[in-house]
Amino acid sequence: MFTGRRLILALAGAALAAAVLPAAAGAHPMDERNAAFVQSIDGFAFWPFLYLGAKHMVTGYDHILFLVGVIFFLYRLRDVVLYVTLFTVGHSITLLLGVLAGLNVNAYVIDAIIGLSVAYKAFENMGGFERLVGYRPNTRWAVLVFGLFHGLGLATKLQEFTVSENGLVANILSFNAGVEVGQILALSAVLLAFLYWRTRPSFERHAFLTNSALMTGGFLLAGYQLVGYVLFS
Amino acid sequence: MAQAVEPASPRRVAIATIAALLVAALLLVTVVLPAEYGIDMLGAGAALGLLGLAQERPVAAQDDEYRLDEALLRVGPGAWLEYTYRMEAGATMLFSWQATGPLDYNFHSAPDGAPPGYAESFDAQENDRAHGAYTAPFTGVHGWYWENDTASEVTISFWTAGFYSEAHEARDRADGYHPLTDLRGNEVRDR
Repeated sequence: MFTGRRLILALAGAALAAAVLPAAAGAHPMDERNAAFVQSIDGFAFWPFLYLGAKHMVTGYDHILFLVGVIFFLYRLRDVVLYVTLFTVGHSITLLLGVLAGLNVNAYVIDAIIGLSVAYKAFENMGGFERLVGYRPNTRWAVLVFGLFHGLGLATKLQEFTVSENGLVANILSFNAGVEVGQILALSAVLLAFLYWRTRPSFERHAFLTNSALMTGGFLLAGYQLVGYVLFS
Repeated sequence: MAQAVEPASPRRVAIATIAALLVAALLLVTVVLPAEYGIDMLGAGAALGLLGLAQERPVAAQDDEYRLDEALLRVGPGAWLEYTYRMEAGATMLFSWQATGPLDYNFHSAPDGAPPGYAESFDAQENDRAHGAYTAPFTGVHGWYWENDTASEVTISFWTAGFYSEAHEARDRADGYHPLTDLRGNEVRDR
């Protein structure tokens, strides 16, 4: 059960999430200057799209929260590489297909699903599927499927402004390469933090609570996006 | 894959999940919805002063005098013309010009106190027209440079409206046009 100290920690974590969220929410969509520039590009522009992809990933707290959930209990580097590759394969497929096929998926719905993917992963980390549901969906498939949704989110973001047909495929590939670069950067930081944290006794003590906070963040994101859907779609 | 270090009881997982939902709902209603969408069901957004964050401000009042101008500008063959206004940072102007022939043009601005010849170029290309809106990013001199590379005179029908002052017109001088440079020393006159 929750002791007083744990409750305080959980509330502090939730408060931190609340403080970070609105600030980060503004930073997530590509800002106006970037958008105006991308709209003016006509033809292949490797570095700008690479940079935008990387920036989107590094400042995209929803993707990072999901990655935190994915690697939370991955102790072996081989597993980290496997799961992150699954996620990458998933989001690359839908990012490319989404933009090429001009799939117009509602951004609010996709972002809500991405929020729920964070809550899902945290619930799984807490052992929720075994203990409450009695059935645990395959972890690898889940990461792959959520990767597909994250990619649709990336594709929708990229389509929010008109990207020139000229050099489109090469530019999406550059954006996708940037997403991977950004993911490696964000993941390295998260992994380093985990490598250190796991050596401390606090990891075992607070693992459950941290996943509860992660889940709260996921639900909050989903709620924020769902209300946006009701209001604007 | 390794599992949670201390296996949690079903009861604990259930409580944590419900608590996560409740905390998320509480934060959503008291903080995120007021700040992002201006929806303030409990009045918490007003109490925390968050409602202003959600407000769009498409109307920007301006202090300067509103001006409306129209001009016919002639640029001889091989000649150039510069037409600029003084504008305060944040002031907006609508513009529309149409020429009888193609011109090399450059919309550029020089902030007050900048070294001579320094300008930032915002639109440089060859065309016989341009229409749009401009909001000055800094206080200084803002305007067009047109160059006529054709063999015949070109006339520009020119309209502007908005918040500017001190129109300034410059033409070919004996010493020729001093090329504009940006801070890196690159010439901004040409594309």
